[in-house]
Amino acid sequence: MTVPSGSAGNPLRDPRDRRLPRVPGPCAIVVFGITGDLARKKLIPAIYDLSNRGLLPPGFALLGFARRDWDTGDFESLARKSAQDHARTEFREDVWKRVAASLQFLPGSFDDDEAFDNLASCLVELEKSHGIQGNAAFYLSIPPAAFPIVLKQMQRTGMADNAKSGGWRRVVVEKPFGHDLASAMELNALVDEVFSPSDVFRIDHYLGKETVQNMLALRFANTLFEPIWNSNYVDSVQFTMAEDVGIGGRAAFYDSAGAARDVLQNHMLQLLALTAMEEPVSFDAEAIRTEKLKVLNAISLPDNLARYAIRGQYDQGWLAGERVPAYLDEEGIPKDSRTETYAAVRLGIETRRWAGVPFYLRTGKRLPRRVTEIAVSFKTAPHLPFDVTDTVELGHNQLVVRVQPDEGVTLRFGSKVPGSAMEVRDVSMDFLYGEAFTESSPEAYERLILDVLLGDATLFPRNEEVHASWKVIDRLEDFWSTTVPEKYRAGEWGPRGADEMLAADGRTWRRP
Amino acid sequence: MATTLWDTTGSEVVKALLAERRAAGALASGLALTLVAVVDERRVQEAEQAATIAAAAHPCRLVIIVRHSINAESRLDAEVQIGGRLGSTEAVVMRMYGRLGLHAESVVLPLLAPDAPVVTWWHGPPPDEIATDALGVLANRRITDSSLAADPLEALRTRAADFVSGDTDLVWTRATPWRALLASAMDGVDGTAVSATVSAAAGNGSAALLAGWLGSRLDVPTELDESGGPGITGVELVVRLPDGNDCPIRIERPDGVSAKLTRGDEDARVLPLPRRELGDLLAEELRRMDPDPVYAEALTKCTGIHVDLSPRSRILVWRDPALAGS
Repeated sequence: MTVPSGSAGNPLRDPRDRRLPRVPGPCAIVVFGITGDLARKKLIPAIYDLSNRGLLPPGFALLGFARRDWDTGDFESLARKSAQDHARTEFREDVWKRVAASLQFLPGSFDDDEAFDNLASCLVELEKSHGIQGNAAFYLSIPPAAFPIVLKQMQRTGMADNAKSGGWRRVVVEKPFGHDLASAMELNALVDEVFSPSDVFRIDHYLGKETVQNMLALRFANTLFEPIWNSNYVDSVQFTMAEDVGIGGRAAFYDSAGAARDVLQNHMLQLLALTAMEEPVSFDAEAIRTEKLKVLNAISLPDNLARYAIRGQYDQGWLAGERVPAYLDEEGIPKDSRTETYAAVRLGIETRRWAGVPFYLRTGKRLPRRVTEIAVSFKTAPHLPFDVTDTVELGHNQLVVRVQPDEGVTLRFGSKVPGSAMEVRDVSMDFLYGEAFTESSPEAYERLILDVLLGDATLFPRNEEVHASWKVIDRLEDFWSTTVPEKYRAGEWGPRGADEMLAADGRTWRRP
Repeated sequence: MATTLWDTTGSEVVKALLAERRAAGALASGLALTLVAVVDERRVQEAEQAATIAAAAHPCRLVIIVRHSINAESRLDAEVQIGGRLGSTEAVVMRMYGRLGLHAESVVLPLLAPDAPVVTWWHGPPPDEIATDALGVLANRRITDSSLAADPLEALRTRAADFVSGDTDLVWTRATPWRALLASAMDGVDGTAVSATVSAAAGNGSAALLAGWLGSRLDVPTELDESGGPGITGVELVVRLPDGNDCPIRIERPDGVSAKLTRGDEDARVLPLPRRELGDLLAEELRRMDPDPVYAEALTKCTGIHVDLSPRSRILVWRDPALAGS
């Protein structure tokens, strides 16, 4: 007598019962490239944290696949160390025992047919031993170059086939989703050939962040902001994603990509889409993705790209009290590299809501501090009944969503300076999230892995969004292909050209 | 930062709180609610720790009320804390002596955060009728803990008879991990439950509610078995499969730490199912302010007293304990 899988409703689940957590059904996760950085620093800790929060189903298995001469014991010690070092929740032995019991390691290279036959039969065995009921998610934590062969192997063994497996089969793909439109389409076609499009989950970990999701709550749960969320009231919008670090150990990848492909194409355009999209008709995955896609398709580039698309490359300098080398002196970077480490661009959105409102996006490495924020700047009042001298210190009203760190929302408005004269100056009203949002709230990967297992695609960009984003980036890259990035000192807010770009519009960058 | 006031008045406490807020600057912004904790002197530290943990997830103003003998002379001592040992809360700890303690609400009302929900939490034997307690009337949500009563099962019956939407009890909160695990264990099982058994230490309110919940959801006879504890030690469901066979689903937790789940003839699995700390329980309660119909149904089933979920508000009924029994 085995426990059959059934679709009958579970009588213990009740939509009114808000205390019970969203726990996925029984399943396995297969990670290709389990020994890589991403798996060790993000995936394994996230799975440990999910287990610690009681969000993993009783029937669960984690399979690691990599080209190492290892057994499951070696895998367990690697996984244990990575959970201890990187998990956000407390490391507890009893929780670890449960995770350890679900681990299995399968050695093999991607062109090894036997290893994949092994994996396929292992998944069948897990139905009996771990009760996974044929459900499995494949996480491709491998370089894109290895995708075709792994996908072919999955196709050959029928692992990707929902009907054949008797459960669901999903695939998780990490960025980069190609390096331009053509390669992205090729990659997507390849994945879609093996998995059906609804079973493909592309991870953009920014969308897993609480503060990014809060943008939706802020806009669509309140009446306060939506009426002024358009070109009648909004003067301009600035997106900043700054990092204080350099390129770390990613020299080879980074030098072939650059800031625009690495960050602008995915994270920043997704933030822009969430900020500018129309209200979705409902909160399901399709409705939200439809609205995001509409915005991405409506993005326009200015005619004068020389002024409104600036690239920069950091030179040596001082950052946070330390001397840091120039990009060209980083290990593994060719001395004549023309790759940008900073990109700033002005985009427009050709819709009735946003016509004429500039969207300024900037991202860079070795900037003074790590910060990601969205600042909506409102128009000044059409008439001020004060003397001109009373309001010299009054700027634009601003609504700032601080994505990380110091998560929260700031509202900036004019207020009277106490005293007998009528003077108005800007003050900031701050909303800080509770500590929970920064300490114990789920990490982005935790949330996204859980969503994959639940089959909830709301926070995952779909094919067409990736294509629409590349269309924007491709035009920028075309323009930039003949130019040399402007130098900026490590530890300053980007090259001079970026400041001139805003000055030309009579604006300045906000200092985050 | 803290201000301590001896033999003071409610207005002085309000002033001290305002002064502390100004001094602390932007430290305590984004208040989600006011938590009023009614605590015995010997449980103050426990309550403070729990509230600090809960406040990390739900930024709140914390008002702790410690009542001393009503026979003493009326006196109020207060301590105002922002960003100190009580974490990110704005905290006011007040000790009330004499008949002032019977009118604690007169001190609490001006201290409530404007227009934010109020949660009152009795960390100790709860009052028989929350309605007679002015601190219950002013709250949107009332948290009791029947496990601290001399007879927890009798305390649950009292709660059921006295129930108003917005009341909740920590013995129900303690059952959540069990309920989550049971619901997961039933996922993907095609069949109808025919019986349910819960084993627990004698007089365990959470076990009684868990059995009530299983009874109300599955519509099967449920049994409550006595075991040595600690807390709930096991649950067994029997599910009749479409082919007529019975498939047992068994969860055993003899040590209060990890559970063993067996389903049919699948391999047994060990899952962590630790007993949670007070702070975590409180944090779960502060998450939602809406009615909990699932709790009302479980309480009805477990006590046999019909629990009325229709929205009605509490009205203060004044009873002077000094005159009680005369």
